Amino acid sequence: MQMLKEVVNYILSLGAPVFVPIIMLIVGLVARMKFKDAFSAALTLGIAFTGMTLVINFMTGAISPAAQALSHRTGITLTAVDGGWPGMAAISWAWPYAFLMFPLQVGINIVMLIFNWTKTLNVDMWNVWAKIFTAVMVSYISGNMIMGFIAAAIQVVLELKAGDIWGPRVQELTGIPGVTVPHHITLLATILHPVEIVLNKTPLLNKKVDSDFLKEKIGIFGENEVMGAIIGLLLGFSAGYSISGSLTLAVQSAAALVLFPMISKLFSQALSPISEGISEFMRNKFSDKEVFIGLDWPILAGRSELWVAVIITIPILLISAIVLPGNAVLPFAGIINLSFVVAALLLTNANIIHMLIMGLLTSPLFLYAATFFAPYITRLGKSVGTVSIPHGMMLSWSTFESPDFRFLAAFAAKFNIWAILALIAWMGLFYWLYKDIDRQNKKVTITNDQEVDLS
Amino acid sequence: MAKIIVACGSGVATSQTVASKINRLLKEKKINSTVDAVDIKSLDNFIKDADVYVSIVRTNKKFTIPVINGIAFLTGMGQDKEFEKLVDAIKKADAKK
Repeated sequence: MQMLKEVVNYILSLGAPVFVPIIMLIVGLVARMKFKDAFSAALTLGIAFTGMTLVINFMTGAISPAAQALSHRTGITLTAVDGGWPGMAAISWAWPYAFLMFPLQVGINIVMLIFNWTKTLNVDMWNVWAKIFTAVMVSYISGNMIMGFIAAAIQVVLELKAGDIWGPRVQELTGIPGVTVPHHITLLATILHPVEIVLNKTPLLNKKVDSDFLKEKIGIFGENEVMGAIIGLLLGFSAGYSISGSLTLAVQSAAALVLFPMISKLFSQALSPISEGISEFMRNKFSDKEVFIGLDWPILAGRSELWVAVIITIPILLISAIVLPGNAVLPFAGIINLSFVVAALLLTNANIIHMLIMGLLTSPLFLYAATFFAPYITRLGKSVGTVSIPHGMMLSWSTFESPDFRFLAAFAAKFNIWAILALIAWMGLFYWLYKDIDRQNKKVTITNDQEVDLS
Repeated sequence: MAKIIVACGSGVATSQTVASKINRLLKEKKINSTVDAVDIKSLDNFIKDADVYVSIVRTNKKFTIPVINGIAFLTGMGQDKEFEKLVDAIKKADAKK
């Protein structure tokens, strides 16, 4: 036993770029992959970690001096560098228990399908990382790993229930039948739902806007290199850099934003044999059951409203970061604010004006969550082994997904009475959302059926 | 060699999942081609030098190259038919070169 513990500790001490591929190789072989394929997937994962470490270090190396100069010059202290979701997804896999999240998610889904507690069959294995991330944050804050897994399990259940109500709406918005988006970023609809009810009662805000046209005009600002260069240039000038210094920072920032997804893709590539295997297994198991197949949010990415709302939110987020007292996060790699927009798109049925208001209202929420969670994200980042974060700086995520649920879950896990009560109230709001959308879905199906009858 | 692109919201997860799957299926059939996951925000740049576009969204936009339904590769429903269409498109693109 002692021996085994020493071996495990030794392997863990090698750092994530070594031990995670070893876990991956074992998982692959247990799943009866060919040795060659399992080995190549495992090695790709190690490469992904190493590449992500390079990019994070490059980004913090370029941005930290500018952020510090900005603070000396203006007193605006933004000491947390934003690694965005690609950075967070990467460091989540460095958690030693990360792979346990696959059986947890799949197990809960199977049980809920068997008992007809859900209609959603989630085959999106990429976003398993979001449950790992929740578990890490909750266990760091509460000091209790079991609580981390319980919070992750609750998240899985909530995602599946959300998948059930979004299915008909996804079909309405995209025309794709039989699929849904059981993604935790849609859970923000829980607190946006009362806002939507108020906005719906304000007739001026229900105007139609030609978002296709708008997207054609401003779409370029959403492209990684353009966005990165602009942010870098603005940061350089505000930090008092010379023109040459600012231009250099602009190109470096563009490089970082282009490299992030390139490296992040390697994680997805490495995990694809496993996720393919799991989703095939699940689909075969429930092939004769009528289900919504749960996919990741990009099936909604054809809606131009989503991109228009995201791009207009970029300056809102930057300005909020500067003017909000107490905010410590400099929005960068996470500035494409998917964390509100997917929920807002589904909730408002692509009402762009409502979506923009929600983007404005939620920016402080994301930034304050990013500030609060920064020390824990930094701790996770450092556990990768080779990520170096300069003294006095932190790593964070400006558009911290599910800020409401994760914050409350973390404190409820510490048995704080106010947090437990607030989490119960939040669940009540979610139940209200569920009932309301379900009712609206039924109304739509009834009118559709009537149309069929008339013809 | 035909170039296939798969686009999703950031060119990371969904698109790469589909790209990896297509890559594997093509290898099994011994068809030589490159499959790349790309960012839908920069689709116009990528589509210029691609031969086939595998889409996971529905848009009204018209494209000059063949478009394959990528959702089929995620849900498994209609996958064989879409894969056949893809192979056809690749063969046509290769013949032109």
